[in-house]
Amino acid sequence: MTPRLTRAAGLVSSVAYAAFIGWLYVRQPQTIAQVTGGMTSTVGAYAIDRASFDDGLRFFRNDQFVEARAALHRADSADRDAPTQFYIAYSYYRQGWGRLYVDRLLFQSGLEAANRAAALAPGGRLVVVDANLAMKSIDELKAELERGLTRDVSDLNPLKIFRARK
Amino acid sequence: MSVLREAFLLPAIFLTVALAGGFRADAAGVIRLAPPPLVALLLSVLLVGALVRARALAPGRLMNERRGVLDNLSGLVVLLTLFAASAQVFNTLTPEAGLLHLLFGVFFIVLLWNTIVAQPDRPHVLRSLVVILGSALAIKYVMLAALYAPEPTFAKRVLTVLLEGATLGALTYQPDNPITGYVAFFTVTLYLVGLILLPADHAEGLQRTR
Repeated sequence: MTPRLTRAAGLVSSVAYAAFIGWLYVRQPQTIAQVTGGMTSTVGAYAIDRASFDDGLRFFRNDQFVEARAALHRADSADRDAPTQFYIAYSYYRQGWGRLYVDRLLFQSGLEAANRAAALAPGGRLVVVDANLAMKSIDELKAELERGLTRDVSDLNPLKIFRARK
Repeated sequence: MSVLREAFLLPAIFLTVALAGGFRADAAGVIRLAPPPLVALLLSVLLVGALVRARALAPGRLMNERRGVLDNLSGLVVLLTLFAASAQVFNTLTPEAGLLHLLFGVFFIVLLWNTIVAQPDRPHVLRSLVVILGSALAIKYVMLAALYAPEPTFAKRVLTVLLEGATLGALTYQPDNPITGYVAFFTVTLYLVGLILLPADHAEGLQRTR
């Protein structure tokens, strides 16, 4: 290899390595699965584990939310699939919802998952076709979670106990 | 200096240091990558200046008018990655907030300034850096980590209460997961190896021989 070619190859590899480091600092992955998932999704090769997703959906419909999230996290171990993140957020909403009060910790986790889903969806728009869901878009789900986290005078309205879980 | 060292080895070493220097794992094991704060960039400028002053780094051997465009670009990559690595080394060795962050920053600035003014030769500046970086590593990842461990002994608890009381609560520290210390050790060692491999100014050696 000539010195000129060596330098050119070195430049290309250095720029690629620096770009990879920059990407890591921007994405802030917390696990190796998130690193590999993020890289594969960048080139459009990321796919969720379909069997685990179906398990998660079945648990979700049976109101087994903790089990549903475990299966959904397994299906989308890199947190790169918007519909899966949508269902994770929805499971937090349904588990945290109460007729008299909401579980703020669960709602907060739900909002974080909803924000992830919105960030992953093209243009931030995500609509899930599922007859079992009262809220089908990420915008509705986010708004409902944010409403649950907001404290105002409407919380004192006794008629709130008649509202239904979505 | 060989082409391979300049084009591949040095950028790879310094970029790895730049990556690993921001590695943090908290007590729960959650990983994050911390970008360098402004003070780390300033310290990096001072450190590169100290290296040039001590002729441990000869920028003229990496970039000059006699070299071609590709050669100069290759040299520029080495200088830029050295700067990034230096900033991240200070990032990993400095506590992230509070009075300790300030104290470490002042400590580094004074030491580097002193090194620049003293105009040491290459072996001395490298030895000096081993001491500065090694001390900071030991203080942050051994002493402070032991002092602020999640399950301290009674004596440690008394000492930390006294320290925090004497500084009106300003001396607080959040210890990282022990893995962060191991990564920091690897980062600092790799960085020092990179510094040793940098192209030095040969004229300095000749002048001293005379």
